[in-house]
Amino acid sequence: MAEGTMTLKVARYRPEHREKPYFDEFDVPYREDMVILDALNYIKDEMDGSVTYRWSCRMGVCGSCGMMVNYRPRLTCSTFLREFYPKPVVVQPLENFPVIRDLVVDLTSFMDKLRQVKPWIIRENEAALESGEYLQTPDQVEKYKQFSMCINCMLCYAACPVVAKDPEFLGPAVIALAHRYNLDSRDQGRGERHRAIAVDWGIWDCTFIGECSVACPKDVDPAVAIQREKVAKTTDTMLSMVLPFGGQE
Amino acid sequence: MRRGNPPDPPSLGDVLDWSEASEVRPGQRRPRPRGPQARLEAMAWGLFSAGGFVAAVLLPIHVAILGIAFAAGWLPDKALSYSRILHLARNPLTKVYLLAVISLPLYHWAHRFRFAIHHQFGIHLRRLVAVACYGAAVAGTGLAVWVLLRI
Amino acid sequence: MTPDGRRRYPVYVPQPSRTWWLKSGPYRRFAAREITSMFAAIVSGLLLAFLFALSSGPGSYQDFLRLLETPGMAAFSAVILAALLYHTATWFRLTTHIVVIRLGQRAVPRSALLAALLGAWIAVSAAVAYFHIWF
Repeated sequence: MAEGTMTLKVARYRPEHREKPYFDEFDVPYREDMVILDALNYIKDEMDGSVTYRWSCRMGVCGSCGMMVNYRPRLTCSTFLREFYPKPVVVQPLENFPVIRDLVVDLTSFMDKLRQVKPWIIRENEAALESGEYLQTPDQVEKYKQFSMCINCMLCYAACPVVAKDPEFLGPAVIALAHRYNLDSRDQGRGERHRAIAVDWGIWDCTFIGECSVACPKDVDPAVAIQREKVAKTTDTMLSMVLPFGGQE
Repeated sequence: MRRGNPPDPPSLGDVLDWSEASEVRPGQRRPRPRGPQARLEAMAWGLFSAGGFVAAVLLPIHVAILGIAFAAGWLPDKALSYSRILHLARNPLTKVYLLAVISLPLYHWAHRFRFAIHHQFGIHLRRLVAVACYGAAVAGTGLAVWVLLRI
Repeated sequence: MTPDGRRRYPVYVPQPSRTWWLKSGPYRRFAAREITSMFAAIVSGLLLAFLFALSSGPGSYQDFLRLLETPGMAAFSAVILAALLYHTATWFRLTTHIVVIRLGQRAVPRSALLAALLGAWIAVSAAVAYFHIWF
Protein backbone atom coordinates (compact mmCIF):
# COMPACT_ATOMS: atom_id res chain seq x y z
CA MET A 1 0.00 0.00 0.00
CA ALA A 2 1.49 3.35 -0.95
CA GLU A 3 1.84 5.74 1.96
CA GLY A 4 2.14 8.87 -0.15
CA THR A 5 4.08 10.06 -3.19
CA MET A 6 7.57 11.36 -3.68
CA THR A 7 9.20 13.28 -6.51
CA LEU A 8 12.31 11.97 -8.21
CA LYS A 9 14.26 14.31 -10.48
CA VAL A 10 16.10 11.93 -12.77
CA ALA A 11 18.95 13.08 -15.01
CA ARG A 12 18.44 12.10 -18.63
CA TYR A 13 20.96 12.09 -21.44
CA ARG A 14 19.82 10.92 -24.82
CA PRO A 15 22.27 12.22 -27.44
CA GLU A 16 20.07 10.99 -30.30
CA HIS A 17 17.32 13.37 -29.15
CA ARG A 18 18.99 16.19 -27.22
CA GLU A 19 22.58 17.31 -27.20
CA LYS A 20 22.82 18.13 -23.48
CA PRO A 21 21.60 16.31 -20.38
CA TYR A 22 18.28 17.38 -18.86
CA PHE A 23 16.01 16.38 -15.96
CA ASP A 24 12.72 14.48 -15.95
CA GLU A 25 10.48 14.61 -12.87
CA PHE A 26 8.52 11.58 -11.76
CA ASP A 27 6.07 11.25 -8.86
CA VAL A 28 6.42 7.73 -7.52
CA PRO A 29 4.30 6.06 -4.84
CA TYR A 30 6.14 6.04 -1.54
CA ARG A 31 6.46 3.21 0.94
CA GLU A 32 8.67 3.32 3.98
CA ASP A 33 10.71 0.32 2.88
CA MET A 34 11.46 1.55 -0.65
CA VAL A 35 14.95 2.33 -1.88
CA ILE A 36 15.94 4.60 -4.78
CA LEU A 37 16.36 1.54 -6.96
CA ASP A 38 12.76 0.50 -6.27
CA ALA A 39 11.66 3.97 -7.35
CA LEU A 40 13.72 3.76 -10.55
CA ASN A 41 12.31 0.32 -11.32
CA TYR A 42 8.79 1.65 -10.77
CA ILE A 43 9.51 4.53 -13.15
CA LYS A 44 10.86 2.18 -15.79
CA ASP A 45 8.01 -0.31 -15.41
CA GLU A 46 5.08 2.07 -15.16
CA MET A 47 6.02 5.53 -16.35
CA ASP A 48 8.93 5.75 -18.82
CA GLY A 49 10.50 2.57 -20.12
CA SER A 50 13.40 4.44 -21.71
CA VAL A 51 15.06 5.37 -18.40
CA THR A 52 18.42 3.60 -18.42
CA TYR A 53 20.45 2.60 -15.36
CA ARG A 54 22.57 -0.23 -14.01
CA TRP A 55 21.67 -2.55 -11.15
CA SER A 56 22.03 -6.19 -10.27
CA CYS A 57 22.10 -7.75 -6.82
CA ARG A 58 19.91 -5.08 -5.12
CA MET A 59 21.63 -5.89 -1.84
CA GLY A 60 24.83 -3.85 -1.82
CA VAL A 61 27.41 -6.44 -2.89
CA CYS A 62 27.74 -6.16 -6.65
CA GLY A 63 28.64 -2.50 -6.97
CA SER A 64 26.52 -1.86 -10.09
CA CYS A 65 24.00 0.72 -8.90
CA GLY A 66 26.24 3.61 -7.86
CA MET A 67 24.71 7.02 -8.67
CA MET A 68 24.62 10.55 -7.30
CA VAL A 69 21.66 10.88 -4.95
CA ASN A 70 21.14 14.49 -3.86
CA TYR A 71 24.68 15.23 -5.04
CA ARG A 72 26.29 12.47 -2.95
CA PRO A 73 27.58 9.17 -4.36
CA ARG A 74 25.35 6.37 -3.05
CA LEU A 75 24.33 2.82 -3.88
CA THR A 76 20.73 3.21 -4.99
CA CYS A 77 19.84 -0.27 -3.73
CA SER A 78 20.91 0.71 -0.22
CA THR A 79 19.57 4.27 -0.05
CA PHE A 80 16.09 4.48 1.40
CA LEU A 81 13.52 6.99 0.20
CA ARG A 82 12.55 7.62 3.81
CA GLU A 83 15.89 9.36 4.29
CA PHE A 84 14.57 12.22 2.11
CA TYR A 85 10.78 11.93 2.28
CA PRO A 86 8.81 14.10 1.66
CA LYS A 87 11.40 16.28 -0.12
CA PRO A 88 12.24 15.57 -3.78
CA VAL A 89 15.34 13.53 -4.59
CA VAL A 90 17.79 14.32 -7.39
CA VAL A 91 19.28 11.26 -9.09
CA GLN A 92 22.24 11.79 -11.41
CA PRO A 93 24.90 9.58 -12.95
CA LEU A 94 28.09 8.94 -11.00
CA GLU A 95 30.32 12.01 -11.04
CA ASN A 96 33.75 12.16 -12.68
CA PHE A 97 32.85 9.63 -15.36
CA PRO A 98 31.69 10.25 -18.92
CA VAL A 99 27.95 9.66 -19.26
CA ILE A 100 26.82 7.21 -21.93
CA ARG A 101 23.08 7.50 -21.38
CA ASP A 102 20.80 8.70 -18.58
CA LEU A 103 22.34 7.23 -15.42
CA VAL A 104 24.89 4.94 -17.09
CA VAL A 105 28.54 5.97 -17.07
CA ASP A 106 31.58 4.82 -19.03
CA LEU A 107 33.79 2.73 -16.77
CA THR A 108 36.51 1.95 -19.31
CA SER A 109 39.08 4.18 -17.60
CA PHE A 110 38.55 2.43 -14.30
CA MET A 111 38.97 -1.00 -15.87
CA ASP A 112 42.18 0.13 -17.51
CA LYS A 113 43.54 1.54 -14.25
CA LEU A 114 42.61 -1.62 -12.36
CA ARG A 115 44.58 -3.74 -14.79
CA GLN A 116 47.64 -1.56 -14.32
CA VAL A 117 48.08 -2.56 -10.67
CA LYS A 118 47.79 -6.32 -11.31
CA PRO A 119 45.14 -7.12 -8.68
CA TRP A 120 45.95 -10.81 -8.36
CA ILE A 121 48.43 -12.95 -6.43
CA ILE A 122 51.84 -12.66 -8.06
CA ARG A 123 54.34 -15.40 -7.25
CA GLU A 124 58.03 -15.43 -8.05
CA ASN A 125 57.96 -19.18 -7.64
CA GLU A 126 54.76 -21.17 -7.84
CA ALA A 127 54.58 -24.02 -5.35
CA ALA A 128 53.89 -27.45 -6.80
CA LEU A 129 50.24 -28.51 -6.88
CA GLU A 130 50.98 -31.51 -4.67
CA SER A 131 52.13 -29.30 -1.79
CA GLY A 132 48.57 -28.05 -1.38
CA GLU A 133 47.17 -24.56 -0.82
CA TYR A 134 49.12 -21.57 0.41
CA LEU A 135 48.22 -21.48 4.09
CA GLN A 136 47.34 -18.36 5.99
CA THR A 137 46.77 -17.77 9.69
CA PRO A 138 43.75 -15.69 10.78
CA ASP A 139 46.18 -12.89 11.72
CA GLN A 140 47.59 -12.85 8.20
CA VAL A 141 44.10 -12.66 6.74
CA GLU A 142 43.18 -9.86 9.10
CA LYS A 143 46.01 -7.72 7.73
CA TYR A 144 44.39 -7.31 4.32
CA LYS A 145 40.80 -8.35 4.86
CA GLN A 146 39.37 -4.86 5.15
CA PHE A 147 40.82 -3.85 1.77
CA SER A 148 39.50 -6.99 0.08
CA MET A 149 35.93 -5.87 0.72
CA CYS A 150 35.92 -3.53 -2.28
CA ILE A 151 32.97 -4.15 -4.62
CA ASN A 152 34.29 -1.83 -7.34
CA CYS A 153 31.23 0.41 -7.03
CA MET A 154 33.36 3.51 -7.73
CA LEU A 155 31.53 5.75 -5.28
CA CYS A 156 35.02 6.71 -4.09
CA TYR A 157 35.89 7.99 -7.57
CA ALA A 158 32.78 10.11 -7.62
CA ALA A 159 33.72 11.55 -4.23
CA CYS A 160 37.36 12.33 -5.02
CA PRO A 161 38.20 15.85 -6.25
CA VAL A 162 41.58 14.64 -7.50
CA VAL A 163 39.84 12.21 -9.86
CA ALA A 164 37.77 15.16 -11.09
CA LYS A 165 40.83 17.33 -11.69
CA ASP A 166 43.16 14.63 -12.98
CA PRO A 167 41.38 11.94 -15.01
CA GLU A 168 44.56 9.87 -15.11
CA PHE A 169 44.73 9.54 -11.33
CA LEU A 170 44.58 5.83 -10.54
CA GLY A 171 42.08 6.53 -7.82
CA PRO A 172 41.13 5.18 -4.41
CA ALA A 173 39.73 1.74 -5.22
CA VAL A 174 42.56 0.75 -7.52
CA ILE A 175 45.28 1.73 -5.05
CA ALA A 176 43.38 0.14 -2.16
CA LEU A 177 43.24 -3.10 -4.14
CA ALA A 178 46.95 -2.87 -4.91
CA HIS A 179 47.49 -2.41 -1.17
CA ARG A 180 45.31 -5.45 -0.47
CA TYR A 181 47.56 -7.64 -2.56
CA ASN A 182 50.72 -6.05 -1.21
CA LEU A 183 49.57 -7.04 2.28
CA ASP A 184 48.67 -10.59 1.31
CA SER A 185 51.23 -13.02 2.71
CA ARG A 186 50.81 -15.26 -0.33
CA ASP A 187 51.78 -12.47 -2.71
CA GLN A 188 55.31 -11.74 -3.94
CA GLY A 189 54.54 -8.93 -6.34
CA ARG A 190 55.02 -5.85 -4.20
CA GLY A 191 57.86 -4.51 -6.31
CA GLU A 192 55.86 -4.79 -9.52
CA ARG A 193 52.89 -3.08 -7.96
CA HIS A 194 55.00 -0.31 -6.52
CA ARG A 195 56.18 0.50 -10.02
CA ALA A 196 52.54 0.81 -11.01
CA ILE A 197 51.30 2.92 -8.10
CA ALA A 198 54.35 4.91 -6.93
CA VAL A 199 53.93 7.32 -9.82
CA ASP A 200 52.73 10.86 -10.44
CA TRP A 201 49.22 9.70 -11.27
CA GLY A 202 49.20 7.10 -8.48
CA ILE A 203 49.76 7.45 -4.78
CA TRP A 204 51.61 10.77 -5.01
CA ASP A 205 48.63 12.57 -6.53
CA CYS A 206 46.49 11.87 -3.48
CA THR A 207 46.26 14.66 -0.91
CA PHE A 208 44.35 12.68 1.73
CA ILE A 209 41.10 14.58 1.39
CA GLY A 210 39.44 11.47 2.78
CA GLU A 211 36.08 11.77 1.04
CA CYS A 212 36.63 8.45 -0.68
CA SER A 213 36.52 6.62 2.63
CA VAL A 214 33.43 8.55 3.67
CA ALA A 215 31.65 7.46 0.49
CA CYS A 216 32.69 3.81 0.64
CA PRO A 217 29.71 1.57 1.44
CA LYS A 218 31.90 -1.36 2.52
CA ASP A 219 34.25 0.44 4.97
CA VAL A 220 37.29 -0.35 2.87
CA ASP A 221 38.91 2.96 3.89
CA PRO A 222 40.85 3.50 0.64
CA ALA A 223 42.26 6.80 1.91
CA VAL A 224 44.20 5.00 4.61
CA ALA A 225 45.36 2.36 2.13
CA ILE A 226 46.87 5.05 -0.07
CA GLN A 227 48.64 6.77 2.82
CA ARG A 228 50.08 3.46 3.99
CA GLU A 229 51.41 2.83 0.51
CA LYS A 230 53.06 6.26 0.63
CA VAL A 231 54.70 5.36 3.92
CA ALA A 232 55.77 1.97 2.56
CA LYS A 233 57.24 3.46 -0.60
CA THR A 234 59.06 6.20 1.31
CA THR A 235 60.58 3.77 3.80
CA ASP A 236 61.55 1.42 0.98
CA THR A 237 63.28 4.28 -0.81
CA MET A 238 65.10 5.42 2.32
CA LEU A 239 66.23 1.88 3.08
CA SER A 240 67.36 1.24 -0.47
CA MET A 241 69.49 4.39 -0.32
CA VAL A 242 71.08 3.45 2.97
CA LEU A 243 71.47 -0.30 2.51
CA PRO A 244 72.98 -1.20 -0.85
CA PHE A 245 70.96 -4.40 -1.21
CA GLY A 246 68.06 -3.44 1.00
CA GLY A 247 64.55 -2.27 0.18
CA GLN A 248 62.19 -3.71 -2.38
CA GLU A 249 63.43 -1.68 -5.34
CA MET B 1 21.88 13.77 -33.62
CA ARG B 2 25.14 12.05 -34.49
CA ARG B 3 25.39 9.60 -37.35
CA GLY B 4 28.09 7.73 -39.18
CA ASN B 5 31.74 7.52 -38.21
CA PRO B 6 32.89 9.49 -35.19
CA PRO B 7 35.23 12.47 -35.73
CA ASP B 8 38.87 11.51 -35.30
CA PRO B 9 40.56 12.28 -32.93
CA PRO B 10 38.18 13.51 -30.20
CA SER B 11 39.34 16.66 -28.43
CA LEU B 12 39.45 17.10 -24.68
CA GLY B 13 37.35 19.81 -23.13
CA ASP B 14 34.41 19.30 -25.45
CA VAL B 15 31.15 18.85 -23.71
CA LEU B 16 30.35 16.06 -26.12
CA ASP B 17 33.05 13.52 -26.70
CA TRP B 18 33.51 10.04 -28.01
CA SER B 19 34.17 7.26 -25.57
CA GLU B 20 37.40 5.36 -25.54
CA ALA B 21 37.67 1.69 -26.33
CA SER B 22 39.58 -0.74 -24.20
CA GLU B 23 42.73 1.31 -23.81
CA VAL B 24 43.52 4.88 -22.84
CA ARG B 25 44.51 6.92 -25.89
CA PRO B 26 48.29 6.53 -26.44
CA GLY B 27 49.13 10.24 -26.27
CA GLN B 28 47.49 10.61 -22.89
CA ARG B 29 49.63 8.37 -20.70
CA ARG B 30 52.51 10.27 -19.20
CA PRO B 31 55.90 8.53 -19.37
CA ARG B 32 56.55 6.44 -16.29
CA PRO B 33 59.14 8.00 -14.00
CA ARG B 34 62.06 5.64 -13.54
CA GLY B 35 64.86 5.80 -11.04
CA PRO B 36 65.62 9.29 -9.78
CA GLN B 37 62.20 10.85 -10.24
CA ALA B 38 60.37 8.08 -8.43
CA ARG B 39 62.92 8.39 -5.64
CA LEU B 40 62.48 12.17 -5.54
CA GLU B 41 58.74 11.86 -5.10
CA ALA B 42 59.26 9.51 -2.17
CA MET B 43 61.80 11.86 -0.62
CA ALA B 44 59.53 14.83 -1.13
CA TRP B 45 56.78 13.02 0.69
CA GLY B 46 59.19 12.01 3.45
CA LEU B 47 60.21 15.64 3.94
CA PHE B 48 56.56 16.71 3.84
CA SER B 49 55.79 14.17 6.53
CA ALA B 50 58.73 15.18 8.73
CA GLY B 51 57.82 18.83 8.26
CA GLY B 52 54.27 18.08 9.24
CA PHE B 53 55.38 16.51 12.49
CA VAL B 54 57.73 19.38 13.30
CA ALA B 55 55.00 21.90 12.52
CA ALA B 56 52.51 19.98 14.65
CA VAL B 57 54.71 19.26 17.64
CA LEU B 58 57.26 22.07 17.85
CA LEU B 59 55.90 25.20 16.16
CA PRO B 60 52.93 25.92 18.47
CA ILE B 61 55.04 26.33 21.60
CA HIS B 62 57.46 28.68 19.84
CA VAL B 63 54.59 30.87 18.66
CA ALA B 64 53.02 30.74 22.10
CA ILE B 65 56.26 31.91 23.73
CA LEU B 66 57.56 34.49 21.27
CA GLY B 67 54.27 35.67 19.81
CA ILE B 68 51.89 35.70 22.76
CA ALA B 69 53.54 35.10 26.15
CA PHE B 70 56.23 37.71 25.54
CA ALA B 71 53.80 40.40 24.34
CA ALA B 72 51.48 39.64 27.26
CA GLY B 73 54.33 40.03 29.71
CA TRP B 74 54.07 36.52 31.06
CA LEU B 75 57.76 35.71 30.68
CA PRO B 76 60.31 36.33 33.44
CA ASP B 77 62.34 39.51 32.90
CA LYS B 78 65.60 38.02 31.67
CA ALA B 79 64.01 35.23 29.63
CA LEU B 80 64.64 36.84 26.23
CA SER B 81 67.67 38.91 27.13
CA TYR B 82 70.15 39.32 24.30
CA SER B 83 73.07 37.69 26.07
CA ARG B 84 71.09 34.70 27.29
CA ILE B 85 69.44 33.94 23.95
CA LEU B 86 72.71 34.51 22.08
CA HIS B 87 74.48 32.07 24.38
CA LEU B 88 71.68 29.54 23.92
CA ALA B 89 71.66 29.94 20.13
CA ARG B 90 75.42 29.55 19.84
CA ASN B 91 75.24 26.00 21.19
CA PRO B 92 75.69 23.62 18.22
CA LEU B 93 72.86 21.39 19.42
CA THR B 94 70.54 24.38 19.47
CA LYS B 95 71.63 25.25 15.95
CA VAL B 96 70.80 21.76 14.69
CA TYR B 97 67.42 21.96 16.42
CA LEU B 98 66.72 25.39 14.97
CA LEU B 99 67.68 24.25 11.48
CA ALA B 100 65.12 21.44 11.73
CA VAL B 101 62.42 23.70 13.15
CA ILE B 102 62.89 26.32 10.45
CA SER B 103 63.64 24.14 7.45
CA LEU B 104 61.31 21.15 7.69
CA PRO B 105 58.00 23.08 7.85
CA LEU B 106 59.07 24.78 4.61
CA TYR B 107 59.08 21.42 2.82
CA HIS B 108 55.72 20.65 4.37
CA TRP B 109 54.33 23.89 2.96
CA ALA B 110 56.06 23.37 -0.41
CA HIS B 111 54.46 19.94 -0.91
CA ARG B 112 50.98 21.07 0.08
CA PHE B 113 51.20 24.26 -1.96
CA ARG B 114 52.40 22.34 -5.01
CA PHE B 115 49.29 20.14 -4.96
CA ALA B 116 47.03 23.07 -4.14
CA ILE B 117 48.27 24.71 -7.34
CA HIS B 118 47.43 21.59 -9.35
CA HIS B 119 44.15 20.58 -7.73
CA GLN B 120 42.67 23.83 -6.46
CA PHE B 121 43.99 26.36 -8.96
CA GLY B 122 43.94 23.92 -11.86
CA ILE B 123 47.41 24.77 -13.14
CA HIS B 124 49.39 21.91 -14.67
CA LEU B 125 53.06 22.57 -15.58
CA ARG B 126 54.00 19.86 -13.12
CA ARG B 127 57.76 20.06 -13.36
CA LEU B 128 57.91 23.86 -13.15
CA VAL B 129 55.60 24.02 -10.15
CA ALA B 130 57.52 21.27 -8.33
CA VAL B 131 60.88 22.95 -8.92
CA ALA B 132 59.50 26.32 -7.83
CA CYS B 133 57.95 25.02 -4.61
CA TYR B 134 60.72 22.74 -3.41
CA GLY B 135 63.25 25.25 -4.68
CA ALA B 136 61.74 27.85 -2.38
CA ALA B 137 62.06 25.42 0.53
CA VAL B 138 65.68 24.70 -0.36
CA ALA B 139 66.36 28.43 -0.58
CA GLY B 140 64.83 28.87 2.87
CA THR B 141 67.01 26.08 4.18
CA GLY B 142 70.10 27.74 2.72
CA LEU B 143 69.11 31.02 4.29
CA ALA B 144 68.66 29.29 7.66
CA VAL B 145 72.12 27.73 7.42
CA TRP B 146 73.63 31.12 6.61
CA VAL B 147 71.88 32.88 9.50
CA LEU B 148 72.77 30.13 11.95
CA LEU B 149 76.42 30.32 10.95
CA ARG B 150 76.27 34.07 11.54
CA ILE B 151 75.24 33.64 15.16
CA MET C 1 32.05 -1.50 -33.89
CA THR C 2 34.00 0.97 -36.03
CA PRO C 3 36.38 -0.34 -38.75
CA ASP C 4 39.43 -0.09 -36.48
CA GLY C 5 37.69 -2.46 -34.05
CA ARG C 6 37.01 0.13 -31.35
CA ARG C 7 33.57 0.69 -29.87
CA ARG C 8 32.63 4.33 -30.15
CA TYR C 9 29.57 6.05 -28.78
CA PRO C 10 28.92 9.65 -27.82
CA VAL C 11 29.49 10.50 -24.17
CA TYR C 12 28.84 13.60 -22.13
CA VAL C 13 31.92 14.74 -20.21
CA PRO C 14 30.99 17.26 -17.54
CA GLN C 15 33.64 19.84 -16.73
CA PRO C 16 34.91 19.75 -13.12
CA SER C 17 34.21 22.80 -11.00
CA ARG C 18 37.05 25.28 -10.45
CA THR C 19 35.85 26.03 -6.95
CA TRP C 20 35.07 22.50 -5.79
CA TRP C 21 36.86 23.16 -2.50
CA LEU C 22 34.17 25.65 -1.48
CA LYS C 23 31.28 23.39 -2.30
CA SER C 24 30.82 21.30 0.88
CA GLY C 25 31.75 21.24 4.56
CA PRO C 26 34.35 18.48 4.23
CA TYR C 27 35.95 20.17 1.21
CA ARG C 28 36.12 23.52 3.02
CA ARG C 29 37.69 21.89 6.05
CA PHE C 30 40.19 20.23 3.75
CA ALA C 31 41.09 23.60 2.22
CA ALA C 32 41.47 25.12 5.71
CA ARG C 33 43.75 22.26 6.68
CA GLU C 34 45.94 22.81 3.65
CA ILE C 35 46.14 26.56 4.30
CA THR C 36 47.61 25.92 7.75
CA SER C 37 50.81 24.83 5.98
CA MET C 38 51.17 28.41 4.80
CA PHE C 39 51.11 29.57 8.41
CA ALA C 40 53.78 27.02 9.28
CA ALA C 41 55.97 28.50 6.54
CA ILE C 42 55.29 31.98 7.93
CA VAL C 43 56.47 30.84 11.36
CA SER C 44 59.65 29.51 9.77
CA GLY C 45 60.15 32.94 8.25
CA LEU C 46 59.50 34.72 11.53
CA LEU C 47 61.92 32.47 13.43
CA LEU C 48 64.48 33.12 10.71
CA ALA C 49 63.93 36.87 11.08
CA PHE C 50 64.30 36.55 14.85
CA LEU C 51 67.61 34.72 14.48
CA PHE C 52 68.80 37.18 11.85
CA ALA C 53 68.07 40.05 14.22
CA LEU C 54 69.93 38.16 16.94
CA SER C 55 72.93 37.65 14.70
CA SER C 56 72.98 41.33 13.76
CA GLY C 57 73.72 42.60 17.26
CA PRO C 58 71.85 43.77 20.37
CA GLY C 59 70.33 46.81 18.62
CA SER C 60 68.61 44.78 15.90
CA TYR C 61 67.59 42.20 18.47
CA GLN C 62 65.90 44.79 20.69
CA ASP C 63 64.15 46.25 17.65
CA PHE C 64 62.76 42.83 16.86
CA LEU C 65 61.60 42.31 20.44
CA ARG C 66 59.81 45.65 20.29
CA LEU C 67 58.10 44.48 17.10
CA LEU C 68 56.97 41.33 18.89
CA GLU C 69 55.42 43.44 21.63
CA THR C 70 53.18 45.47 19.30
CA PRO C 71 49.45 44.62 19.53
CA GLY C 72 49.32 44.01 15.77
CA MET C 73 52.03 41.39 15.98
CA ALA C 74 50.40 39.80 19.01
CA ALA C 75 47.07 39.59 17.21
CA PHE C 76 48.77 38.08 14.17
CA SER C 77 50.49 35.57 16.45
CA ALA C 78 47.13 34.57 17.86
CA VAL C 79 45.84 33.92 14.35
CA ILE C 80 48.97 31.92 13.53
CA LEU C 81 48.65 29.91 16.71
CA ALA C 82 45.01 29.08 15.96
CA ALA C 83 46.02 27.87 12.49
CA LEU C 84 48.91 25.82 13.91
CA LEU C 85 46.66 24.19 16.48
CA TYR C 86 44.23 23.23 13.71
CA HIS C 87 47.19 21.68 11.90
CA THR C 88 48.25 19.77 15.02
CA ALA C 89 44.72 18.50 15.64
CA THR C 90 44.21 17.32 12.06
CA TRP C 91 47.74 15.94 11.79
CA PHE C 92 47.38 13.85 14.93
CA ARG C 93 43.92 12.64 13.95
CA LEU C 94 45.11 11.56 10.51
CA THR C 95 48.21 9.91 12.00
CA THR C 96 45.99 7.70 14.17
CA HIS C 97 44.30 6.50 11.00
CA ILE C 98 47.50 5.73 9.14
CA VAL C 99 49.59 4.14 11.87
CA VAL C 100 48.50 0.65 12.79
CA ILE C 101 50.18 -1.23 15.63
CA ARG C 102 49.06 -4.81 15.56
CA LEU C 103 48.63 -7.07 18.53
CA GLY C 104 47.70 -10.37 16.90
CA GLN C 105 44.31 -9.97 15.30
CA ARG C 106 43.52 -6.72 17.05
CA ALA C 107 45.14 -3.34 16.75
CA VAL C 108 45.97 -0.62 19.29
CA PRO C 109 42.82 1.56 19.43
CA ARG C 110 43.04 4.96 17.77
CA SER C 111 42.13 6.76 20.98
CA ALA C 112 45.20 5.28 22.68
CA LEU C 113 47.41 6.46 19.82
CA LEU C 114 45.90 9.92 20.02
CA ALA C 115 46.50 10.07 23.77
CA ALA C 116 50.13 9.04 23.23
CA LEU C 117 50.62 11.72 20.56
CA LEU C 118 49.05 14.40 22.75
CA GLY C 119 51.15 13.31 25.72
CA ALA C 120 54.33 13.46 23.67
CA TRP C 121 53.33 16.88 22.32
CA ILE C 122 52.80 18.30 25.78
CA ALA C 123 56.05 16.81 27.09
CA VAL C 124 58.10 18.13 24.16
CA SER C 125 56.47 21.56 24.39
CA ALA C 126 57.29 21.70 28.09
CA ALA C 127 60.92 20.81 27.37
CA VAL C 128 61.18 23.48 24.67
CA ALA C 129 59.60 26.06 26.99
CA TYR C 130 62.05 25.15 29.71
CA PHE C 131 65.07 25.69 27.48
CA HIS C 132 63.64 28.80 25.87
CA ILE C 133 62.66 30.55 29.07
CA TRP C 134 64.54 29.27 32.09
CA PHE C 135 67.61 27.26 31.16
